[in-house]
Amino acid sequence: MAKFIFKRLLSAIPILLGVSLIIFILLNVVPGDPITLMFKEHIYPEVIERLRREMHLDDPAYIRYFRFIWDALHGNFGISYKLNRPVTYLLLNAFPRTLVLALSAAVFSWIVGIPAGILSAVKQYSIEDYFFMGFALCGVSMPVFWSGLLFQYIFALKLGWLPVAGYAGVKYYIMPAIVLGWSSAGTIARLTRSSLLEVMQNDYIRTARAKGLRELPVIFRHALKNSILPVVTIMAIQVASLLSGSIITESVFGIPGIGRIAVGAIQSRDMPLLQGSVIFATFLVIIGNIIADVAYAFIDPRIRYD
Amino acid sequence: MNKRRFKFFSVMVLCLMLILIAFCPIQAANKERVFTYILDTEDQETADPQMTTWAYTIPMNIFDGLVRADTIAPGQSDLVPALAESWEISDDGLVYTFHLRKGVKFHNGEELEADDVLFTINRMMDPKTKALNTDFYDMIKGAKECLNGEADSVEGVKVLDDYTVQITLEEAFSPFLALLAAPPCAIFNRKATTEAGSNFGLIPKKTIGTGPFKLTSWTVNEEMTVEAFDDYYRGRAKVDKMVGKIIPDIATARMLFENAEVDVFDCDFARSQIPYFLESEKWSKQVVSGPRVGVFYYCINESIKPWDDVRVRKAFQCAVDRKIILDKIYHGQGILANGIMPKGLVGYNPDLEEIQYDPEKAKELLTEAGYPNGFDSEIAIISGTTSTRDELVQPMLANVGIRVKIKSLDSAAYYGTRREGKLPMYTNVWSADFNDPDNFFYTFFSKKNTAARSFNYNNPEVQDEILRARRIVDPKERIALYQELEKKIVYEDAAWLPLFSLDHLFVVQPKVKNFKVAWNGWSSMPFYGIEIIDK
Repeated sequence: MAKFIFKRLLSAIPILLGVSLIIFILLNVVPGDPITLMFKEHIYPEVIERLRREMHLDDPAYIRYFRFIWDALHGNFGISYKLNRPVTYLLLNAFPRTLVLALSAAVFSWIVGIPAGILSAVKQYSIEDYFFMGFALCGVSMPVFWSGLLFQYIFALKLGWLPVAGYAGVKYYIMPAIVLGWSSAGTIARLTRSSLLEVMQNDYIRTARAKGLRELPVIFRHALKNSILPVVTIMAIQVASLLSGSIITESVFGIPGIGRIAVGAIQSRDMPLLQGSVIFATFLVIIGNIIADVAYAFIDPRIRYD
Repeated sequence: MNKRRFKFFSVMVLCLMLILIAFCPIQAANKERVFTYILDTEDQETADPQMTTWAYTIPMNIFDGLVRADTIAPGQSDLVPALAESWEISDDGLVYTFHLRKGVKFHNGEELEADDVLFTINRMMDPKTKALNTDFYDMIKGAKECLNGEADSVEGVKVLDDYTVQITLEEAFSPFLALLAAPPCAIFNRKATTEAGSNFGLIPKKTIGTGPFKLTSWTVNEEMTVEAFDDYYRGRAKVDKMVGKIIPDIATARMLFENAEVDVFDCDFARSQIPYFLESEKWSKQVVSGPRVGVFYYCINESIKPWDDVRVRKAFQCAVDRKIILDKIYHGQGILANGIMPKGLVGYNPDLEEIQYDPEKAKELLTEAGYPNGFDSEIAIISGTTSTRDELVQPMLANVGIRVKIKSLDSAAYYGTRREGKLPMYTNVWSADFNDPDNFFYTFFSKKNTAARSFNYNNPEVQDEILRARRIVDPKERIALYQELEKKIVYEDAAWLPLFSLDHLFVVQPKVKNFKVAWNGWSSMPFYGIEIIDK
């Protein structure tokens, strides 16, 4: 298993290099430059040219890229053009907020999605099934910017139960976690339902019932265990995706996380910050996939990575 | 079994207590007077006003300049002494001698001295600083040499004694005193700023000024907090703390205000909400309004055919019904502008002839110019911003035959293309940085800047006069020249279409007193006089 994890981590290196090269090329091809953007309305052409020279932004592209890679290999992702701080500092500062948001959204999606999927599968075509699948459909269909504003309007403005935005305590995370996790809960519920329904058609489930086992052990010990693998895959990928930042949720609820950092970097053509954000996000996705693969081995003893 | 149940209930009670604690508001030991506002939709980058061209709210509250522009009436300002208690200007307009106030303290306890003024100007012009606002001091003798690395310091700044500093200009520059009131000309403490190095403006406790507040905390993309400075030379501020939140979403900003989580709502964020606040029984009495010393305008890019033909540009001026736009989109909260200098600016001419809406005349002009069937063109906007102005103008232009497509660009592409002089027509607003006509004429129509704003205005005679106007010492002669240039640029050359000057509306919570709109109508403003009175 250790060997497997090590090989997967090694294979991440060319992926990260490829991603950084694509970002570099794209940012050099699209119009707009970070220095001009710093000035916004107060354009001083001579000052802009002077700053471009002083920041070595007029060096050939390949020199700038290799300079970035060399520094990155030494753990230095540079200074953000827009936020004037080391990229590493900005990402490490923003990440805990995204981590809390992502984990709370993920936990919400699991504790709601999996039981909803199980109940829907066990009571197929019942009112409970229609309710939970409707709930799942809403979660998957409603855009976060809409559901977020709706929640703020009802629970903050009208009822006054929760604050509108910010992240100064546990109560500030309740709405964003639900809004963000709802979509993931919907996906997990639907996948759990369909996977469980498929497994429950199998002979060994009929045999378990015929042996006299009560329904709960049949579902949890036999059926769920064999149907959970695809759900675990989705859960791991969703967590990795959430960890790389949920820009709309962070914007609507005023949470200064990785998503806002990354989108701000794109808008301001902030090459160091964008490279750092994308490489960080890619790394998290790779880790998420590795965790999913490792989880398979624990869930299904037939899967081995030797 | 009993032990297990006891453990289970203990855990449940503990969880319940933790939840209750999380929901309980934190009670402050002493009731602090805190003013909470929306600082911006994006992080401020830096609190160092030499290193930013737009993020001025915090610097305006933690620093002071030698002089200050005070609001004496809505849209009117006067230059008053700030860190300098008096000054003399030589008859030829070259030498400015400032006498500093004694006993002014920086946030670190150091006293303001003339050497700090020398240091501040040298720092701006030091190429190692990579300052963005060098244009604010580059008229000082020796400033350009310092910026080019040919000198170690700015020759024209001399410390005569501990509280007297003399600034000599390369040539007479009449806007100089007004310009010193602008945020980039804030004065820094030599000791603290040198020690802070590149952290000045980024780390709160290293960002030292003389202002009524000191920067105490900053969470990137979240909020910046300032606290009252007890030893401020004008007296301690009446609020203890100000918290500026970064809220990217406009609807969230509005809900934060209505939920009393912020104390002021800037209606520039969401102009569509203005009728709601004006008609609301709860909020109409809480609206604070002030004129903006600024002009909304349409840029016409003369390097793109057929806009190089003055008849086509004049046709554009006649084709737009500005009154309809002012009434429909901005609810009549403003006045039509007909020139370059807005109301409230020194030199404003209230007797300018109104630019008439006359679509028939527009069609005649286009026919005369060789476009009887009109032509195609573009208006550029920044994606994500509302383009209601352009959406109203589009059919007006179509009515006379000018078929415009609204082209959406992201902000970096927009500004980059504009700087290259290639942005097609666009609309924007310019509010005064300092109270002088030069801030408008030089910014848009000088040879140095006109291409970088995609106007590409090409009248060398006018452009020479704009430069000459800077050197005229007699105020009456200067103003007369600007008023003459205004008519030439707008009426004869039709170089832009001025739209209107809008009022700037804010809505404040009932507990907020003495909230005044800044003299120039900016969103960035000093909050020194604000009081919080909890009932």
